[in-house]
Amino acid sequence: MMIMEDAKKLKRLVKSVWVFNWFNSCGFTEILPVVGSRWDMERFGMIPVASPRHADCLIIAGYQTEKSIRRAQRIYRQMPKPAVVIGLGSCSMSGGMYWDSYNTIKRLSDYIPVDLYIPGCPPRPEAIFGGIMKIVQKVKGNG
Amino acid sequence: MDEKDIIGKIEKKFGIKGRIFRERRISVKTESDGLIDLCRYLKGLGFGHLSTVSVTDFIGDGEYEILYFLWSYRDDLALIARTRISREEPSMDSVSGIWEEAQIHERELHELFGVEFRGNPDLSGLFLEGWDQKPPFRKDFDWREYVRRKYYRNDGRERGYFEVEK
Repeated sequence: MMIMEDAKKLKRLVKSVWVFNWFNSCGFTEILPVVGSRWDMERFGMIPVASPRHADCLIIAGYQTEKSIRRAQRIYRQMPKPAVVIGLGSCSMSGGMYWDSYNTIKRLSDYIPVDLYIPGCPPRPEAIFGGIMKIVQKVKGNG
Repeated sequence: MDEKDIIGKIEKKFGIKGRIFRERRISVKTESDGLIDLCRYLKGLGFGHLSTVSVTDFIGDGEYEILYFLWSYRDDLALIARTRISREEPSMDSVSGIWEEAQIHERELHELFGVEFRGNPDLSGLFLEGWDQKPPFRKDFDWREYVRRKYYRNDGRERGYFEVEK
């Protein structure tokens, strides 16, 4: 019984996923409905924070240019570890429609350790929540 | 003033024939060394707003065409001043002394087409970082080959991999 109580207490220590958004392509318009009242990400405890130093989760949406990926790496270095990086959309996985662009990187995980990709162009809000739920389960240790 | 008045004034002053290609849209073609004088005169005519500067690469002719898109709030008219320069050593006088907003447009064109704008105070890089190729918007820049070499190598990862602190 005591062990059960301890486990309950420990579970309470698992905090909500706080998100820092690094969007410099169309990804922001895709996550806006998630932030807004219809899908409302705060009911899952996800709060967009203003500083990467407060964030547990970095969502990188869409393609990154050669210039912006350096800033993304810098943001990742500023985040307290352990941190989770989510690549949103098909551009972050393979370049997407920018597969032959001279100035965008093609695979995000070659530059930043990515934990989870959410495919789609754009991903539906349900898919984003599905990804976040996977992260939460991983943090809780049963996923 | 309407289109015909402006075209008449330009023809009287410089001997260049302008063309009305649509209602309230004028196109004026000039030599590259006379462009600065023309621009200064046009600003005096009321063309106070430079919307953008654009370059077209005519690789068959060996020339760049530079276009200056002007707007007159006084007469509600658009005017395109166009000129051609050599694309081998592209160099052009800056109009940033006439329209201040030309500075950032010329900086961009310097990066993407390699045009040297004489007199522009800052032509440093804008979008591309660490770029060591020829300007990417030139038509003889084989971007698909560049992308294949840079991003789709067979030996695994792209450059710039971020090492995780363990």
